[in-house]
Amino acid sequence: MKPRTMKYFFKEALKSMRRNGLMTLASISTVALSLFMLGVFLCGVINLNNMAASLENQVQLSVYLKDGLTTDQIMAVGRQVKAIPNLKHLEFVNKEQAMKEFKERLGDQQQLVNALGGINPLPNSYVLTFENPEDVKATAKLVSTFQGVESTHYGQDIIEELFRVTQIIRIGGIVLIGFLAAATLFIISNTIRLTVFARRKEIAIMKYVGATNWFIRWPFVIEGMLLGLTGAIIAVLCVGEFYHFITMEVSDSLAFFPLVPMFPFFYQLVGCLIGGGIIVGIIGSTISLKQYMKV
Amino acid sequence: MIEFKNVSKVYDNGSTALDNVCLTINDGEFVLICGHSGAGKSTLFKLLTHEVMPDSGTVIVDEFDVTNMKRSKIPKLRRKLGVVFQDFRLLPNKSVAENIAFALEVIEEKPQVIKEKVAHVLELVGLSDKANDLPEDLSGGEQQRVAVARAIVNRPTVLIADEPTGNLDPNTSKDIVDLFKHINNFGTTVIMVTHNMDIVTYLNKRVIELKDGRVLSDNMRGAEFNEA
Repeated sequence: MKPRTMKYFFKEALKSMRRNGLMTLASISTVALSLFMLGVFLCGVINLNNMAASLENQVQLSVYLKDGLTTDQIMAVGRQVKAIPNLKHLEFVNKEQAMKEFKERLGDQQQLVNALGGINPLPNSYVLTFENPEDVKATAKLVSTFQGVESTHYGQDIIEELFRVTQIIRIGGIVLIGFLAAATLFIISNTIRLTVFARRKEIAIMKYVGATNWFIRWPFVIEGMLLGLTGAIIAVLCVGEFYHFITMEVSDSLAFFPLVPMFPFFYQLVGCLIGGGIIVGIIGSTISLKQYMKV
Repeated sequence: MIEFKNVSKVYDNGSTALDNVCLTINDGEFVLICGHSGAGKSTLFKLLTHEVMPDSGTVIVDEFDVTNMKRSKIPKLRRKLGVVFQDFRLLPNKSVAENIAFALEVIEEKPQVIKEKVAHVLELVGLSDKANDLPEDLSGGEQQRVAVARAIVNRPTVLIADEPTGNLDPNTSKDIVDLFKHINNFGTTVIMVTHNMDIVTYLNKRVIELKDGRVLSDNMRGAEFNEA
């Protein structure tokens, strides 16, 4: 394509955006709003994923031992546990250590410990972590059959619940994204339809004098692209501002909740939203052209 | 050369537009197509520009088989045809020169060439002094001359005109058909749809008469046709 022709296409696209000012504004706002919601959603999903992954890595299996075992017996259990494949780390926690950690966790509510009357009800235990956290369930079952093991405990229930929730959010997100994309496509194709209608005489003349189909289409496709791009840029700025605000708020009040740092993750988000905006714009304009311009 | 071989066309609403039409129009001819409304004149016109397709038969325009061509070739076909309408179809917000130049811009002609060609056709249709006027400032006859200029600026081999004098008074009509004659003298084939009998007599060219989608007569010249 010649640069002169490209210039002509852009000129025509901008001209018609100006001519249908209100519709242009409506399209850009719709794209911006849709992509903003999409962006916020993506931020949420990415953080939930991140949280799920970090929790997954923290999955521990606590193996509580029966009271009154001899050191030899305790070590025998330890040897058996060590033989488990896929074991990442093994740690022995004795009664006293467990009590110490418990006290630390209680903080200023030490009276609860005092109520025990100097008796330490906490058992000796082994704490296991795994290369592959999904194995924890099977391992827990196996370990409970070992002699000298009282019970096993792991946070698998919570983890499974969490994965279920993220799954729902992800599916819900896809559905929502679908709806938003459809609404955006509808609005953009309507805008382009108006433009096509406003220019139908020119189009007829272009057809009669032998302009190629693409020569006629390009200005509309560019218009759709510009609508999508402008909307996406607005959305990106808003999502950026929003995420920045949330990061600040959370780090102030919910410091234990680790948010994914804004960069470099935000660059990917920008790519997604701008790419999405442009694609939606192009598809939107192509749809209305197909209907309204048999060239 | 333009050929219609056994062309038939029935529209979706059941009306027969053309019924087994056979016609040959040689290069450089000036042909008038007459007939009442609904006789099939416009369909003939639209078949040439590939706006409608026949149900059967073949339409040939020079090297193009219009009834059997790739969509991508349609622009090439249309560049061979100059088209003039009854209602001029000028772009109201473009000047006379811009309206004519538009036909060249959209086929990506070089700016310098556009300038030269536009100046040349403006001179040919006698509107050099109105180059910068808007269509609304022109008379009907002048507007039609702009439309003719636009149709021929790309040097088409065939000029087709659908009732080009339909909106014009008798004197202006004569000016327009004189312009067509002038263009025809350069070797351009001219096909003109009309039911203005004065024009038919005045031009005294080959007349093809259509009725109910059939060729009723194709053996007379303007004056004898009018007497018959």
